[in-house]
Amino acid sequence: MKFSLVIYGAPWTSPSALSALHFAESVIASGHQIFRLFFYQDGVFNASLAAVPPQDETDIPARWETLIKNHDLDAVVCATSAVRRGILDVSEADRYDKEAATLRYGFTISGLGQLIDAIQEADRVIHFVE
Amino acid sequence: MDNISYLLLVRSSPYGSARARAAIDIALTAAAFEQAVTVVFLDEGVLQLFDGQETDIAELKNISQMIPALPLYEVKALCVHLPSAEKFGLDVAGLAEITPLDDAGLTRLTREHDQVLVF
Repeated sequence: MKFSLVIYGAPWTSPSALSALHFAESVIASGHQIFRLFFYQDGVFNASLAAVPPQDETDIPARWETLIKNHDLDAVVCATSAVRRGILDVSEADRYDKEAATLRYGFTISGLGQLIDAIQEADRVIHFVE
Repeated sequence: MDNISYLLLVRSSPYGSARARAAIDIALTAAAFEQAVTVVFLDEGVLQLFDGQETDIAELKNISQMIPALPLYEVKALCVHLPSAEKFGLDVAGLAEITPLDDAGLTRLTREHDQVLVF
């Protein structure tokens, strides 16, 4: 079965992100597929390259990155949500004249149309709200 | 892209979180992809439908002004949950292009649509 996951919450401020991460790991472990991870609103903070959690806490963005790399997942970050929160890839940083890109490896910045596409193409869509 | 129907249940107040605005953005995007979109305002979501929202002083975008424009962007139907409207003292008779809905109607819409998104 093909799943799309929509993540609305920032890491650590609500169970949204960690629940989604656990669910995504379980989907793969169960032999199902993930069509797309879509990070929306505060969920874009999961894609932050600059987050430094305390050492005794789960590094949620790093765990996403590992999962995305190991399983070649499509992980899309909503452009409007991301840019206003300072999550920028190299081209966005350049465009807005910011000194650094902050988007973690493995994630892609794209439009809300990718969410509609994710809903259309998946067998099941799971929303992880705050 | 296949045609599927979207039901957006908007339960959030207009300015207490970003969720109300997110619902509008998703409604517009799905409609732009020629999908059939119905938006229902219920619970605190009915607060978006009140006239006279003064948002300039709070430096916020006025969400209530975006709602009447949704049908122009091919959002198929706007509905308001009648028991919620009554609870918050909203007069539904004064709402143009917004269909009142009772509990049974809400249940029916939920069954009829392919995707139900809650905001």
